[in-house]
Amino acid sequence: MHRVLLPFEFAEPTSVAEVIELVDGEKARPLAGGVDLVLRMRLRQVVPDRVVSLQKVPGLDYVQADAGALRFGALATLRQIERAPEVRDRWPLLAEAIGCIVSVQTKVMGTAVGNLCVGTPASDVAPALYALGARVKIAGRQGVREIPIEEFFVDAGKTAVGRNEIVTEIVVPVPLLGSTGAFLKLSKTSEDIAKVNAAVMVTVSGDTCTTARIALGSVAPTPLRAMEAERVLQGRPLSAKAIVEAAEAACEAVAPISDVRSTAAYRKEMVRVLVRDALARAVLRVPAAKEG
Amino acid sequence: MAKEIATFLVNGGEYEVIIEPHVLLIDVLRDKLGLTGTKYACGAGDCGACTVLIDGKPSFSCLTLAVTAKGKSILTVEGLAEGNELHPIQQAFVDKGAIQCGFCTPGMILSAKALLDQNPEPTREEIKSALAGNLCRCTGYVKILDAVESAAAGLRNGGQR
Repeated sequence: MHRVLLPFEFAEPTSVAEVIELVDGEKARPLAGGVDLVLRMRLRQVVPDRVVSLQKVPGLDYVQADAGALRFGALATLRQIERAPEVRDRWPLLAEAIGCIVSVQTKVMGTAVGNLCVGTPASDVAPALYALGARVKIAGRQGVREIPIEEFFVDAGKTAVGRNEIVTEIVVPVPLLGSTGAFLKLSKTSEDIAKVNAAVMVTVSGDTCTTARIALGSVAPTPLRAMEAERVLQGRPLSAKAIVEAAEAACEAVAPISDVRSTAAYRKEMVRVLVRDALARAVLRVPAAKEG
Repeated sequence: MAKEIATFLVNGGEYEVIIEPHVLLIDVLRDKLGLTGTKYACGAGDCGACTVLIDGKPSFSCLTLAVTAKGKSILTVEGLAEGNELHPIQQAFVDKGAIQCGFCTPGMILSAKALLDQNPEPTREEIKSALAGNLCRCTGYVKILDAVESAAAGLRNGGQR
């Protein structure tokens, strides 16, 4: 850890178009909240020639919900999203996942888009957004493209954001009627990043699970969907037996690594536990009466 | 690279400081303005010792580029007392023995202030959650929580600020 940063050119453009022109290569880094970028500059993991701040670009700090979707901009902070009444009410899974980032300062400074752009598979935000079927809007010279979040994460530390591109918005569709979810994180201490995390969303109609989305973090180079586990649940009642089978399928499907935070074997086993417990928790949240 | 004369609004005063883009806010506060109440410890956003309030929000001054804090209202622990009279949160920390080595105290007090400014009647859980980004290496958390509870009660019952 270095006490001071190495010098760089600093740019504070006031439009997305200017930002896109300025982030013209590996050595030019966009700055939103700075919690990750400045830290990695101190560690000399990143030594940019140019830092391009988004902070002076107007209109990127929104959190908006309408009948179809939740949308938040590149400068919407984790704290802003976590506390937004509409998020707590209609996308509680997202608020629950952000709540697992405990440091207020990190959430006040850090943005959700920045969290995703780090490209870490240990993101707490990402699995929730996978389970919610979020889409990522990326602005570039050719205009704006929109991709599913599964295509956004490419490899550890690598995202689909190219040269002269930035993420401008995340779109999270309204969950289907009768959906509930849960997020669980396992970490060394509550302020550390995840050894394993899991987000689930299930839709129940009558007795039957009609859709299930299960996402895992910290068990592969990117966050991932446990599709085998999802298939186990589809069309069945969410019984204890079905949940155990789904958890087993998720566990079978992952091949995590050992590192400073955990071992491969432990992570794999904990996938079973977290998926089981998250599903059980989601089931408890299914509204007793049918919603009108 | 480009040097500039930047204006910082710290504790109600205006200060002009020559900075470069790679200068961190904590270094402006400590080294240029002599406000050494703000502590440098982990440098990584883990410990919260460097916490200051920027426009009322608790922020890591060690991960903030000074250039991005220009013109914003910055509050450090030095801005709390009025003359020799401690701020009620500071007084509560003294009264409750919520200080051991004291290194985390400025950050703890500022995080507590950010909480109490928004929520004058926090539950114990809300206080814990508001202080979750501040570590006490002496592990004296119980007395810190007591102090914030006591400060909240004091402020509600007519303490100033």
